[in-house]
Amino acid sequence: MARELDYVMTKKPKSEPEQKSGSLNISGWRQFKAILRKDIVIELRTKEMITSMGLYALLVLVIYYIALSNAGSNFETQRIAAGLLFLAIVFTSMLGLNRSLVHEVDQGCLEALLLSPIDRPIIFFGKAVGNLIFLLIVEVFVTPLFYFIFLSSAKMQNSGPVWMVAIALVVGSIGIAGVGTLLATMSVNTKGKDFMLSVMFIPIMFPLLLAVVAAASQAIMGDPGYVKVFWQMIAAATAYDALMIGASFALYEFILEA
Amino acid sequence: MSDINETEFALEVRDVSRTFGARKALNKVSFDLPKGAFLSIFGPNGAGKTTLLRTLSTLTQPSRGSSAKVLGYDVVKDAVELREHIGIISHNSLLYPDLTAQENLEFFAELYCIEHEQERIDELLTAVGLKHRSLDLVRTFSRGMTQRLSIARALLADPEIIFLDEPYSGLDPHAMDILDQLIAQIRDRHTFVMVSHDLEKGLELCSHALILAKGQVVLFKERKDIDKEEFNKVYRETVGLGVS
Amino acid sequence: MKGERVKKPIKIAIILMLVGGLLTTAAFLMAFNTAEVQTFGTVNLTKAQAAASNTVFEVAPANLQPIDGTINYLRPWFSQKIFYFHVPFAEASFLIFTVAAFFAVMFLSKRRKSFDTKSRIAMEVAFLFVVATMITGDLWTRASWGMWWDWEPRLTTYLIMMLLMLVYFVLRNSIEDEERRAMYASVFCIIAWIDAPISFFITRIIPSQHPVVFKSGMATSNLVPFIVAQVGMIMIGYAIYTLRVGEEQNRERLEIIKEAIEN
Repeated sequence: MARELDYVMTKKPKSEPEQKSGSLNISGWRQFKAILRKDIVIELRTKEMITSMGLYALLVLVIYYIALSNAGSNFETQRIAAGLLFLAIVFTSMLGLNRSLVHEVDQGCLEALLLSPIDRPIIFFGKAVGNLIFLLIVEVFVTPLFYFIFLSSAKMQNSGPVWMVAIALVVGSIGIAGVGTLLATMSVNTKGKDFMLSVMFIPIMFPLLLAVVAAASQAIMGDPGYVKVFWQMIAAATAYDALMIGASFALYEFILEA
Repeated sequence: MSDINETEFALEVRDVSRTFGARKALNKVSFDLPKGAFLSIFGPNGAGKTTLLRTLSTLTQPSRGSSAKVLGYDVVKDAVELREHIGIISHNSLLYPDLTAQENLEFFAELYCIEHEQERIDELLTAVGLKHRSLDLVRTFSRGMTQRLSIARALLADPEIIFLDEPYSGLDPHAMDILDQLIAQIRDRHTFVMVSHDLEKGLELCSHALILAKGQVVLFKERKDIDKEEFNKVYRETVGLGVS
Repeated sequence: MKGERVKKPIKIAIILMLVGGLLTTAAFLMAFNTAEVQTFGTVNLTKAQAAASNTVFEVAPANLQPIDGTINYLRPWFSQKIFYFHVPFAEASFLIFTVAAFFAVMFLSKRRKSFDTKSRIAMEVAFLFVVATMITGDLWTRASWGMWWDWEPRLTTYLIMMLLMLVYFVLRNSIEDEERRAMYASVFCIIAWIDAPISFFITRIIPSQHPVVFKSGMATSNLVPFIVAQVGMIMIGYAIYTLRVGEEQNRERLEIIKEAIEN
């Protein structure tokens, strides 16, 4: 072993050994891909986040059933359907966001990340996009299930196209993943952890949730003039996403420093 | 930027302070360390050792009025470039338990954007004696093996300076031996800065010794200038100081 | 460090507190005595218009009384008076919130603990005013609509703002390390500050049953107590803030002295 390590150390890892400062060819894109890939590999292997998120979403659906069980057969579920769906997603996402950050703090890996020549914003995007992907995957399973359980018997003749609901989900998820990553990175370092995340999350997400639930609601209900209102709401939600994700992105490096 | 690397010093620390309100974690710490040296930092708990290490490795910024250069790079202004030349070995493994050894090294290699990474990873794994376990999850490794992999990770980008944060803590004697051996192999071309509670070990390995107490430098000497008894006395006094 | 200079801002603060208090009281008296009982937001709508556009004008269903096919809505006396305090409280609280966010930004750029202290105290004062806003707002809805709570845009936004401020304090409490606490709190303060106006706008534009309160102008004699109240309140706010900052600074100096003695 003695000779091997010594031998290894005399070989330079860089392709141009004569370069001085900035000698490594740092590519932000490569680093971003690495972070994303790592999170996906870990998740595929342990299936921790997706199973717990999926299970949690199912449990929430059961609770909905309990809540609606005595509403009577004339109760128009589709009126509150959008809200119920997004509620399930909000709670599920809070679970997922925390877990993804716990991985990093566990063995001090976040510090190892911070010590590498990586721009802090790339860490933000890597984590946020990873969170977004997991959230979308859970939504892909839960939404049809939700429709099937709660909306199959409802009067859905006027209902707008399903892709509109999908758009509302996507715009909402982007906001949740982006701002949620910032909040989760903070909360994982506090005493309250999960509690802290939920308590920070809801007031900050409030306007986004209002907008996307309104949009999804319009699409599900299909009242006259719904298309225009739908797009207005989506525009508002997109404005939220742009502003808040921009702010989260700018503030993330301060969180990492502490 | 042109003469950054022309310095002969690995560390140039001038009046480094880290204050927050009334609290001073580091108080005007100053010293120089030549390249190729091995610095052991001693001191009681709360003395600022970890803070100093974090400041020098660019994890935290020193307060205004401080100036610290590592390998000629300013820790604040040239932080990103400096990180390319830093390796860290800690009492935490800094590895992902749910990835294999191979995947862990691949990840960090990507972070440092290393060329010909497969070759390098193979070489390092072989050098630390973990090639046969490269496809096993780090979760299944013993503490000693994790530490070895940790060293491999630290050396991926061939850093010029290596920071060690209590690397021996939690290791059994066998693992300690292996760590000693590995450090001995790479001793020549690298500078080391180690924080350790193990007085014997620290003195044995070092070429320079620094004692910190309450954020200030109490002693900074080259090993050859140190009289063991005198050193012990000062050390005991400082550790005594720290307990309040 | 500051020494003698500390005394002066405190004197000013006390003076401002008294003046502010006087002004607010004056506004109060004016509101109840000299201002005309304006039928605030009297709107003449045909019944059809009222039904269709309830997001534009104030409509209190319980108070609609059709007269010759049009509806005159007369605001009750008391609720209008509350308005003189509710809005100034609301505006002062957002102003002080902005000050807190400003200091948070300053802290993040300069990392001086004093900025974080000022930010926190400003948040405390803003919180005080938000609670006042909520209470007066609640009284107002009670007086106008006969209910204790309504999810109307302004009140909802202020509820969210109050929650954000509470979370701010909870967050501060849950972090032990001083520097991290200051960093996280500053970041959260800034995010919250951006969130509050967005909340306001979005609650206004979502389609809902709840009407948006829309100010439709006030007579001059009403404007005077309003402005007086507003100015008075800002003064009180500033005074409380300054007194608290002085208190904190004294406390910190005490800490320094204690530590120095221990060494």
